Amino acid sequence: MASSIGLPLAVLALPFIAFVLLAVAAPLRRAGRAAGLVSILTMALAFAAALTVWALGLVFEATWTWIPADGGPIASVGLMVDSLSQAMLVLVTLVSLLVQIYSLAYLHDEPPASLGRYYTYQSLFAFSMLGLVLAPGFLQMFIFWELVGLCSYLLIGYWYERPAAARAAVKAFWITKLGDVGFIIGIVLLWSATGTFEFTELFDKAQSVSGLPLIMFLIYLGAVGKSAQFPLHVWLPDAMEGPTPVSALIHAATMVTAGVFMVTRAEPLFALVPEVLTLIAWVGAFTALLAATMACVEGDIKRVLAYSTVSQLGYMMAAAGAGAAQAGFLHLLTHGLFKALLFLAAGAVIHAVGTNDVFRMGGLFRAMPHTGIVFIVGTLALAGVPPLAGFFSKEAVLGGVWEAHLTGPFLMLALTALLTAFYMFRVVFIAFFGRAHAGGHPHEAPWLMRGPLWILALLTVLVGLRLAAGGLAAGGVEGHEEAPGWLAPLSVGLALAGFLLAWAMYQRGVIEPARVATALGPLDFMARRRYGLDTLYAGLYRGIMLGFSRLIGWIDRYLVDGLLNVLSALTLRAGARLRGIQSGKAQDYVYGVAFGVLLLIVWAQLWR
Amino acid sequence: MTLETVGFWVVAVVLLASSLAVVLTPNLFHAVLYLAAALVATGVVFLLLDQPFLFAVQLLLYAGGVVTIVVFAIMLTERLVGERLVQTSRHLVNGAIVSAAVFVGIAGFLIRSPLDGARPAQSADVTAAIGRALFGPFAITLELLGVLLVVALLGALHFARSEE
Amino acid sequence: MIGLSAYLTLAALVFSIGLFGVLTRRNAVGILLGIELMLNAVNINLVAFARFSGNVTGLVFTLFTIAITVAEVAVGLAIVIAIFRVRRTVEADRLDLLRG
Repeated sequence: MASSIGLPLAVLALPFIAFVLLAVAAPLRRAGRAAGLVSILTMALAFAAALTVWALGLVFEATWTWIPADGGPIASVGLMVDSLSQAMLVLVTLVSLLVQIYSLAYLHDEPPASLGRYYTYQSLFAFSMLGLVLAPGFLQMFIFWELVGLCSYLLIGYWYERPAAARAAVKAFWITKLGDVGFIIGIVLLWSATGTFEFTELFDKAQSVSGLPLIMFLIYLGAVGKSAQFPLHVWLPDAMEGPTPVSALIHAATMVTAGVFMVTRAEPLFALVPEVLTLIAWVGAFTALLAATMACVEGDIKRVLAYSTVSQLGYMMAAAGAGAAQAGFLHLLTHGLFKALLFLAAGAVIHAVGTNDVFRMGGLFRAMPHTGIVFIVGTLALAGVPPLAGFFSKEAVLGGVWEAHLTGPFLMLALTALLTAFYMFRVVFIAFFGRAHAGGHPHEAPWLMRGPLWILALLTVLVGLRLAAGGLAAGGVEGHEEAPGWLAPLSVGLALAGFLLAWAMYQRGVIEPARVATALGPLDFMARRRYGLDTLYAGLYRGIMLGFSRLIGWIDRYLVDGLLNVLSALTLRAGARLRGIQSGKAQDYVYGVAFGVLLLIVWAQLWR
Repeated sequence: MTLETVGFWVVAVVLLASSLAVVLTPNLFHAVLYLAAALVATGVVFLLLDQPFLFAVQLLLYAGGVVTIVVFAIMLTERLVGERLVQTSRHLVNGAIVSAAVFVGIAGFLIRSPLDGARPAQSADVTAAIGRALFGPFAITLELLGVLLVVALLGALHFARSEE
Repeated sequence: MIGLSAYLTLAALVFSIGLFGVLTRRNAVGILLGIELMLNAVNINLVAFARFSGNVTGLVFTLFTIAITVAEVAVGLAIVIAIFRVRRTVEADRLDLLRG
């Protein structure tokens, strides 16, 4: 067993070595492309190792004591390799590798020092995500959770001179931090009740814990922040200020899925608290629907994809809440592939056209056929069209929710499926078809960018075919009855309906989009303003936090400082009074001598 | 009422009265003159104590020398100012309290000590005894006194120089 | 009989009066006069003790004291004159350069 630790350890260690190398060796980092090549090379090796781990089906757990104590260590670190982490290892390393290759071309205009900084962050992020995935216990997972959050901040704010990017990075950090507070409280409560952080031990001991629903709810809050569930979803659309490859990696395939991963990993614990699971399902479904409505009115192509990610994350969480965590995890994997594909393709479009605004694009299919094709492949997968991968995972999610008899969430998810198809094809029709805009010469992307795109598209198709052939069991979804027979036609039908609606409104112009907007007036109004959530948060922050800060500031200035100032003033005044003794006049000193003599006399008298 | 007793009381009254006058007169010249009177009275006290030699020394050095010097000093500092120096005192009450306290303290010691013995017989020639003592055990002290006087002389000369 | 304590009490009184003068006089020369009185009282003390104990040392001490007092008065007045030259005043209240 000792030898089998080498491979997962290599997967984890390689990006870390790259990070340390780039962080420490400043000349290498400042060389730009050389730093990128170092990072890509280590990531390729890590991918190869991850693939080997997955192919070999390695399953084991290895831990080392971190904080020793009598009666067992307080905390340990280690690697836990099972089917869950194997799949995540492959996904993370694959998407990281493709994104890093893609970035070489996408960011080729950047100054070399900045490019080196970018790849340093990328390596650090890969290491953090892999550490999170391999964590055998909550403590290690939390540490890497926070590291991932840090990398997200660094990468969203990569162009830190842009005020919007800096604000978006801070916003992402703070909103996820809100969830993390609940997470750490939950972890500590769990530890104080059971005495351990490790998953395997917790699964045994958790039944006897009182107040488990509250604890698990607190732990779930971490996932709410990280996986952008309502109401902590507001950071994800703004996080699009970062470079597109970053969005593809972090906000599609890896970081945001950490929450879903955590819920899936802790499934035995969540299974003990069905109330919390129901809440998770409802919140997930509601998030999915909410985000989908906001995507329908969005004009920025990256924002559409961001809302789509929030929506799909809702799908995954709903599946976990319905007890079908493996279905949710399958959706995580497939979504990771085609969402990364969509983001990278969008990046190619932005790179070519120079704007994010869909309404300033048009007729791009003719100019960039490769990009168009892969984008359409991604859209079909996202909409859930067989035989692409998305269809199977979405069907699994819907089936799981239906089986759990959660009708409300099911209806919400079904409506979301329709809207998903609608808004994705809306983008396709507006951007890739229709009249081209005069001015600007959109060109096909360079091969460094096209290569990853084709690889991802191919994988989407292949995984779909594999799932088609082997059924859901091939995707690791076991132990569920076959979904009701009407589910598959329903989901295809919904997708088709969405496609037709988009086609009618945007391609054919049969239905006027403006009239639909006025027909759905209030909804349209709210969706455009993100349902006022951002304003609410800003107001709460200003009111509560700043108010509290002002109070603390007042206490500090007037009470704490005031106390010291009073003391110092008293000292100064006492000193000034005492000064009077030193009048400089000899006669006053003679008084002193006389007093001394009197004292001596008194002392001599008493001493008799 | 022996002559000695009467003499003592008279001298005591004179001494005390002139001392009070020294410290209370507004006019500095008058104060110096009163000081002269006090010094002479002290000399008479020495006489009452059968010390004629010291009486002479007191008159010569104190009443003669010191008073003269002080008068000169007053004239010098007064002349340059051009007006009669008016002497007013400050903090009379504080000073009175402190001085009274010191006196009470000393008197306290006096009360407790048994001091009322008779005078022992005195040798005929006290002066000779003093002279023998000066050139005997106290010879070195005498020489040092001489050095001190020279130093004081030099110091006074230096201070009295006019700035050139 | 006039005993030792009478002389000592007299000396103590003169001493206190001299101290009063030192503490209250404004003029520097006036202060010196007070010091003279105090030294005088000391002399009375010394001679009284010498007489009542039969020891000639007290008389010698008195001589020395008188001589030293003369020297001290000379130097003291020289200082007063020097100060007067610089500061144009001999008022003790004005001489407070050592003020803290």
